[in-house]
Amino acid sequence: MNTIYPKEFRVLAIAPVTRGFGFAVLEGQDTLVNWGVKVVNGKGNKNAKILPKVEELIAHYQPGLLVMEDASAKGSLRHPRIQRLVQQISKMAIIQKVNVTLFSREQVTKILFSDGQWTKHGLAEIVAKQFPEQLGSKLPPKRTAAMREHYQMGIFDAVALFLVFRLKRARGQIEMCQYLYPRQ
Amino acid sequence: MTSPQLSNYLVSNRKRLALSQKEVAFLLGNTGGAKVSRYERFDREPSLETALALEVIFQRSASELFSGLYQKVEQGVIERAKTLASRTDQGNPKRQIFTNIANKSLN
Repeated sequence: MNTIYPKEFRVLAIAPVTRGFGFAVLEGQDTLVNWGVKVVNGKGNKNAKILPKVEELIAHYQPGLLVMEDASAKGSLRHPRIQRLVQQISKMAIIQKVNVTLFSREQVTKILFSDGQWTKHGLAEIVAKQFPEQLGSKLPPKRTAAMREHYQMGIFDAVALFLVFRLKRARGQIEMCQYLYPRQ
Repeated sequence: MTSPQLSNYLVSNRKRLALSQKEVAFLLGNTGGAKVSRYERFDREPSLETALALEVIFQRSASELFSGLYQKVEQGVIERAKTLASRTDQGNPKRQIFTNIANKSLN
């Protein structure tokens, strides 16, 4: 009998990064189904190259919900390209009848950092603790000023968005049955 | 809100063990990772021998690894058991067996 994977809704979390996006597919409370980084190469319109890859993930996993960072939230420092990408992905998902919800970095900080001190590495550590078997070994070393962001950091960002969703849902702060994009 | 059950959970189990498709292919007795990729993309269903080998590799039962497929098969069997139960006479002891299969209460 199927006991490990209860029939539950599936969530696709996407975290755009400079060269592509990190993603995580989760089911139920804490089943990590797939995770990784999709990289787009070459010059030109990166968003146009990313969209088919997201579409492919949606078609394959048929998620009930897509979670992303609200790149256009007040105070967000995300690049305009990323802001456009989040909008494009959201529109595409809604056309495919996938609910979309966006969380600002402020919301992520409030939910996951009790002291309000958000750090990228701190976020990755929280995620690695939640999924030690799958992501514990992927935790990048703490970045120094001379280092670039680790390319796998997008995975941790994506899973963190799922954790925020899970906590907000447990607190009854999310209505699952409505389209949450565009923001009201 | 629920999503349709995935056909299999090979990717999550492979990544959990940090194995590459090539390594899994080798363990299955294949040369390249193409077949494994097709299983993971639900493009192809493995043979019984391969399914059992995957059970050995990932230490998960085949019904868990292929839970979507399992559910589909289970549903088919239940429907057919119901048909057989309805076709079998009341006094026939097999009727109870078919009913139990249909109700998934063999134990």
